[in-house]
Amino acid sequence: MKLGVFVSDYTLPWDTLDRIQADTLGLILVQNGIYHAVSRQGMQPSPLLGKTDQVYVLSEDVETRGIDASSLDAKAKVVTYSDVVDIIMNDFEKIAWMG
Amino acid sequence: MGDVKVTFLVQRPQYKGETSRLAITHAIAYQTVEILLDDGDTVTPDLCFVGEGVLGLEKGQKAMDLYGITSTESHMKNAMLVDLNILVCKEDLQKYGISEDSLPDAEEMGAEVKINVVPFSDIQKSLESARHVLFF
Amino acid sequence: MANLTIGCFPGLVGSMTYDFALKLAEAAVDKGHTVSIWFSGNATGSVKANQKHLKDYSTGETHLKRLLEKGVEICTCEACTVARGVQKPDGIEGVQWNAMHWYLAKIHGADRVLQIGGE
Repeated sequence: MKLGVFVSDYTLPWDTLDRIQADTLGLILVQNGIYHAVSRQGMQPSPLLGKTDQVYVLSEDVETRGIDASSLDAKAKVVTYSDVVDIIMNDFEKIAWMG
Repeated sequence: MGDVKVTFLVQRPQYKGETSRLAITHAIAYQTVEILLDDGDTVTPDLCFVGEGVLGLEKGQKAMDLYGITSTESHMKNAMLVDLNILVCKEDLQKYGISEDSLPDAEEMGAEVKINVVPFSDIQKSLESARHVLFF
Repeated sequence: MANLTIGCFPGLVGSMTYDFALKLAEAAVDKGHTVSIWFSGNATGSVKANQKHLKDYSTGETHLKRLLEKGVEICTCEACTVARGVQKPDGIEGVQWNAMHWYLAKIHGADRVLQIGGE
């Protein structure tokens, strides 16, 4: 299963994502989900980033929050809405929205 | 295109929010979707409850008496009456101390199916075999 | 080109998830994909016409009309909508009104489905 998961919250109060097994897992961080990719001094990296190397961050939601792209985790790839469309159409078979 | 299998995954409790209930009613709508599809086309949903989604499934709900709204219990009975495949995560029932006996059935209404209490691995299989997954 | 169906349940006001759903829909239709949007739950309040755009709140009407012009099919759950006091004559022209099976029918023909829950 190639699963792309949209993450829109910083706090994830449920554990579905911990349990689902996917051959390919991609995380598309949008809205407050982008904070998972922000790395600042003294801030623990989000455990979410350990789940996969395919991490995308929506540029509009980064810029809306005043986040400098240089403060994002090296693993995170900044993408536009147009890129997101290509990612969900080409890289995954199924997509899900996580909170 | 034939049959399209869809897995509805409910992760949140009922009542405070509307979305978990809407998962049940949308899944039930599979019964009438054929009027909008070509001959031979169907949608087959699995309705799965995991995590906190298993809360709010117990018998004896009085939402109609107290809030004037259809209870989740009634919606679940309707789901069984239309032969929906309902999967409830066994590990999560245990985690929240909910016994399988406390889950509703619709046998007295003539339903032929019951809620299936299954390990999470069966829910994983449902997600894998579905064409689309809908998280609620 | 592919077919994207979006189920959008969050309300227009009080969440920016609704805005996300519409922006994604527009990006997809602009790339030539076929897009359908199903509104249920609080999202159905967004089909009311004559929305005033106050700058502290998102507005749906302008975006919905633009999506309709671009060929996006938009349908609201009739029961959810009338429960919020919005009747068909009050709605944005071009938005369809139907029951939940409309969504399932669109899912049947979709290459990708994004179900966005309401809370």
